[in-house]
Amino acid sequence: MFEVRSRWQQVALQVGITLMVIPFVFPLFAMVQGSLAGDGWGNYSAVLAVPGLSRFFVNSVVIAAACIALVYVVTMLAAFGFAKLRLRGREAWFWLLLACLTLPEVVLLAPLFATAIRFGFYDTYWAVILPLAALQVPFAVLLTRNFIAGIPHELFEAARVDGAGSARAFYNIVVPLTRPIAAAVVIFTFIGAWNAYLMPLVFLQSADMQTITLVPQYFVGQFSNDQTKILASAVLTAIPEVVAYLCLQRLFERGLSAGAIK
Amino acid sequence: MVPSGLPWILPALVLCVGLIYYCIGYTGIISTQDWDGVSPDPPSVGADNYARILDDPIFWKAIWHTVVFFVVTFVVQTALGLLFAVLLHSKVKLGVLYKVIIFIPVVLAPSIMAPVFRRIFAPDGQFNWVLEHVGLGALAQPWIGQESTALAVVMAITVWQWTGLSFVLYFAAMSQLDHSMLEAARMDGASNLRTITAIIWPSVRGTTLAMATLGAIGALKTFDVPQLVTGGGPNYATEFLGTYIYRMTIPQAHVGYGAALSVILLVIALAVGILLQLRGRERA
Repeated sequence: MFEVRSRWQQVALQVGITLMVIPFVFPLFAMVQGSLAGDGWGNYSAVLAVPGLSRFFVNSVVIAAACIALVYVVTMLAAFGFAKLRLRGREAWFWLLLACLTLPEVVLLAPLFATAIRFGFYDTYWAVILPLAALQVPFAVLLTRNFIAGIPHELFEAARVDGAGSARAFYNIVVPLTRPIAAAVVIFTFIGAWNAYLMPLVFLQSADMQTITLVPQYFVGQFSNDQTKILASAVLTAIPEVVAYLCLQRLFERGLSAGAIK
Repeated sequence: MVPSGLPWILPALVLCVGLIYYCIGYTGIISTQDWDGVSPDPPSVGADNYARILDDPIFWKAIWHTVVFFVVTFVVQTALGLLFAVLLHSKVKLGVLYKVIIFIPVVLAPSIMAPVFRRIFAPDGQFNWVLEHVGLGALAQPWIGQESTALAVVMAITVWQWTGLSFVLYFAAMSQLDHSMLEAARMDGASNLRTITAIIWPSVRGTTLAMATLGAIGALKTFDVPQLVTGGGPNYATEFLGTYIYRMTIPQAHVGYGAALSVILLVIALAVGILLQLRGRERA
């Protein structure tokens, strides 16, 4: 966008953007540097030697996978219903769903807590999966409905003329054609579920149920405030996310911008 | 005849509307009680909790922090995101590397980064170290531990985390710009600055509005960073509605009061959401 007229301007541009990026790298640099202070790599072996560390990862994977599956299925069905089928009070139902977009999760704390205790699903995966999925669905439906609305009507009519029911149309038209937006939904849900802190904090009490977002706090207890080991644990928990992002970089960015541009 | 879509939207409605609206209704009931979260038969106190909130200085502090937080983070993120997007659409070498660096914070969990930022902004942390080494040692101070700077730290962390999102959205929006328009402006002798203000900025309006909505709702939802980095303190200097509701509901077990705060937060969030939607449509 910037027009560069001379070699000097080119250099100035490059230097400018490098300076602007420094504050963004700095925390990552400080994190790695801090994790290597004191015992050096010994911090990492001390963290890895803590029994049960893998449980945090397993729990996060289980919760994220279940959220993704639940959100994907529910969203695809609903988006198809909203976009292509007959629905009385279509917009009313849709707004009922969209209103949930504004909901701060902290509002759910007290009632969910009371309900979870009463029905005995406190301290189980469900206590975290259900609210996290419920909070992700409205945005996912919003994205997917717009996308499916863009699929030509004629395609569905042709299927109907050939005797295919809605289920066939869903399976043979909607599922394959919505792959790009499905990737966006999966990525959104993954980031949301993997990074969730409040819900696991409140609803997962026993140590072997907790997720990776609770690792730093767990280690504050384990290493009685030895900062270097806490930072080492932070690096270890950040690595899967960074790797996932680097591998799926294009998908991440396309997914995130899918909502903003048509 | 097109078949009915009701069975298709039912699972989503049950999960979302069912769970969420059930919780909201339940919160509404709890908000009229003086409940500690355990006792089986809490006394009803009518609108008492709400009346107390209006006289609660911490509540008003939290509202004020939310407003300041939204305005500052939105303006800074928009400016930075736009600038990065423009720069990376220009002839810059290693563009992908810069993009990756700016975007990585978006995927990192705030709860994972919290100990890192506590370390950086500690009195003997790296931030003060840098200040001293660039000759600004006089500015070194306990950033998290004092009322005057704690909120700025929370905002700085948020900007660090979310600028990548503004950037990616602006970057994508600018890819769709009509290049012949830009060239025509250049032929007429428009400067770089003039091109940005007169052509680029108006054509990414949709993205700016989307970011404003996300930012406003996000400000009302703020929880992880103040909870983990500053603990809402010192002396409530970084208290937000989210952290206050959490503190009231779980550690202090004033569940009824927390529920009343929740209802107020919900009403504000809905009002802001609707307002921004309407304004966005009006001007579009």
